[in-house]
Amino acid sequence: MEKRDTLLIVDDVMINRELLKDIFENGEYKILEAADGEEAIQILDEHKDEIALVFLDLVMPKKNGLEVMHHMSLNNMINTIPVIMITGEATVETDVKAYELGAADIIYKPFEPAVVTRRAKNIIELFEHRISIEKELELRTQELFESKKRIEQSNNFLINALSSVVEFRSLESGEHIQRVKKFTRIMLRHWRALYGEEQFTDEQIELIVNASALHDIGKIAIPDNILLKPGKLTDEEYTEMKKHTIYGCQMLEKFKQEENEFYRYCYDICRYHHERYDGRGYPDGLKGDEIPIWAQVVSIVDVYDALVSKRVYKPSFSIEETFRMIHNGECGTFSPKLLKCFDDAKEEFIQNTTKEQMGEEA
Amino acid sequence: MIEELYKKINGNYEIAISRMQNDERILKYLKFFLMDESYKGLEDGMNSGDCEAAFRGAHTLKGVCQNMAFTALSTVVEQITEELRAKDFEKAKQTFPQVEEEYKKVIDEINKII
Repeated sequence: MEKRDTLLIVDDVMINRELLKDIFENGEYKILEAADGEEAIQILDEHKDEIALVFLDLVMPKKNGLEVMHHMSLNNMINTIPVIMITGEATVETDVKAYELGAADIIYKPFEPAVVTRRAKNIIELFEHRISIEKELELRTQELFESKKRIEQSNNFLINALSSVVEFRSLESGEHIQRVKKFTRIMLRHWRALYGEEQFTDEQIELIVNASALHDIGKIAIPDNILLKPGKLTDEEYTEMKKHTIYGCQMLEKFKQEENEFYRYCYDICRYHHERYDGRGYPDGLKGDEIPIWAQVVSIVDVYDALVSKRVYKPSFSIEETFRMIHNGECGTFSPKLLKCFDDAKEEFIQNTTKEQMGEEA
Repeated sequence: MIEELYKKINGNYEIAISRMQNDERILKYLKFFLMDESYKGLEDGMNSGDCEAAFRGAHTLKGVCQNMAFTALSTVVEQITEELRAKDFEKAKQTFPQVEEEYKKVIDEINKII
């Protein structure tokens, strides 16, 4: 930006304006004058990027000094253009008022040239300095923001790569994971809208969404003959299969990060996404509110996606049928609050459930 | 010439010259002073009984007189400004003739030298 090189002198008395003009006659600054508040506002709007300083009288016809200051505040000029209030008498009252309105300084009539030039120079330099620091800060913030974004992108890439390992091995497409993430996000937003008392921030929602991708990570430790078995599992095999919740946590524990929120979500989701509200889930038989909300959300989403998707061992159920089955407790019991949230999100579940996953021709 | 004028009207030439740098420039401001309308505002306000208008005129005139270092005029204008600020119109009416007298003196002297 061009350097600000203009002074605006606002006073209804011509002699006062002339005196100030003469003080700055050395040509360092261009001078603009206004004889009332209305004129001042017009000039400010037109030259707001050139004006380095405003000398402002308080008592003027049409619009007074306070109204000019008000206009400057409203239009975001008060932080970039310093105002020196001109006043006839030094009373604490007017001084306090001027500073409250955002005046940078006050000078009293009669003007002493040396004092006026010194103060003007100081204030202009102060503002230039402040504006450049703010610019610098803005730039740094932008850089930080961009590097944060890059880190997030790498994180997402790693999480997706990791979670797809399991799906790849179980010969599934990677879409189940992507859909679990999508539905988890939908559920959490509805949860937030419905139950204000348990607010998730946008950032927390994204952390949970990413953690949801890892819910079945423990399946990597399940032997092929069980994981890939086309038919029904024996009781023994099923017992082993259920251990994927524990295996997942064992893997995570090796990289345990105390006090890390993301670690907490990953751990809880891996371990508890097969727990049920009535305590009849696995591996720990937790019940009710012992199961963290994020694990509850992923569990209902996991069930939903499994039901509506066509698999080698089962056909797909319609969305209506799936909702009915879940409400009916046919895939285990979910909490009433969670079911209410599920219904609330139904429209979006319908929109995001594709014909391809249901095994129909698109 | 200018110094002489300041003596006659009981002004402070030293302050004026330090503030305005040289006689030429003081002269420029003396001419501006003839055009200034704040005295008229005060006078009209006093004549019509409009305390508010008289105050505005007096207040502005005070600032100008201080800037010009017209000490004597400045003193009486300051007095009437405070009386009008306090809405004591009766008192201001008693002070106004002194203001008038000092103001006329200043105007007459300026007119003599330009």
